[in-house]
Amino acid sequence: MSVIWAIIRKDFQMEFRTKDSVTAMWIFSLLIFVIFNFTFEVSRLLMLQISPGLLWVAFIFSGMLGLNRSFQVEKENGNLRSLALTPADPGLIYFGKFFSTTLFTLIFEALIFPLFIIFYDIHLSLLTLWIIPIAILGTIGFTSLGTILSAVAIHTKQQQILLSLLLWPMITPIIIWSVKTTGDVLAGDLSTAFQPVIIRMIVFDVIFTTISYLLFEYVVQE
Amino acid sequence: MIEQVPAVITAEKLRKEFGRVVALRGVSFQVPASTFFTIFGRNGAGKSTLLSIISGMAAASSGVIRVFGEDPAARTQRHRLSVISHESFLYDNLTALENLEFYGKLYSVQDLKERTHHVLRQVGLHHRRFDLVRTFSRGMLQRLTIARAILHNPDLFLLDEPFTGLDQHATEMLIGLLETLKAQGKTILLTTHDLHIGLRLSDQYMILERQQVVETGSASGLTEDALREKYFSLISSGEAGQ
Repeated sequence: MSVIWAIIRKDFQMEFRTKDSVTAMWIFSLLIFVIFNFTFEVSRLLMLQISPGLLWVAFIFSGMLGLNRSFQVEKENGNLRSLALTPADPGLIYFGKFFSTTLFTLIFEALIFPLFIIFYDIHLSLLTLWIIPIAILGTIGFTSLGTILSAVAIHTKQQQILLSLLLWPMITPIIIWSVKTTGDVLAGDLSTAFQPVIIRMIVFDVIFTTISYLLFEYVVQE
Repeated sequence: MIEQVPAVITAEKLRKEFGRVVALRGVSFQVPASTFFTIFGRNGAGKSTLLSIISGMAAASSGVIRVFGEDPAARTQRHRLSVISHESFLYDNLTALENLEFYGKLYSVQDLKERTHHVLRQVGLHHRRFDLVRTFSRGMLQRLTIARAILHNPDLFLLDEPFTGLDQHATEMLIGLLETLKAQGKTILLTTHDLHIGLRLSDQYMILERQQVVETGSASGLTEDALREKYFSLISSGEAGQ
């Protein structure tokens, strides 16, 4: 556990000091909300149908910025190599990076969600609390794969392009499920398909987090 | 009766291929304990690949490598070795102290607080412990790299071209630190193309050319001119054979 905690602490220390990721993510999300809010002059009903997609565009695209930055610092001075050279279990190093990216992305999502409510005039109810587990499941799906694929892409010159090419096709199911369930929650109507989709999201997260944990050792080798 | 010094590193017929490219061709050598062993060679000779295999970061395509009697890929001896290269392995936006504390936790260093302060004093950076690494000069960075490398008190140091980019003052300081480690009985494996520095520090040396060992020997009594002559004749005969 101390290895995981050391990596999380180190990543947060650096981010709070530089605010590199959070600034870029904040500006990006704000732009999405502002631009789309003024682009679509539609009825509230239609806006309710569009807004879950916009929310997840903001979550995932700004999450990509955070993910890129998180691994950029591991690349700059050969740090990922030095982590792999320590006696620490590579799986624990994976979990350290995974938890730090996930926590950071979730905190950021919690900060931009109020903006989303204001811009898109979302009516809050007890059902809206379902957004929390949906955001957690969707974010874990994104960051579990994003963490290992970032470690793959870090060895290449076109790191950001390769990461996008590898990551987007793989996270498409979890994004679709996240958007769908968010839409149900915002509409205040949890359809019969809601629960099975949540279960699928849990299964997706467990499978890809486990696979990534098992494969990380081979990814960090030269 | 001459006492046999146990070998810390044993390599037998190591071969490494990256697809069609051969990076090492049947490399065999031994590094006895408490020896400063230097591998000379040009860029592309296979020095860094060899170090990657010894550190367990890469697997040989064939052949046997043993570090402290074990396969380095098994990771069981990681706490006994340390790698220093021209990359600092440090985080620019952490302080010197935070960097060492972070690595100390990954190496499960006992009495971490005392140990970090001790090694910072050893490399003369204790007064800068609260400063961000990004404010350090190249020489200070290399000293902090050494501090990181000695933090867990390893028995074996693998140095991959550590003098790259250092000015004269920083080079002398690094040589001084390496001489201290040598005096402490640590085993040190250095790769370099700098014959002057390599010979100054070494007990034994090896020359890699065209991905294979072309010369091994004792550095004792060998002059720089003799080594230079030998090195360039081996390189030119290698080029002639190409």
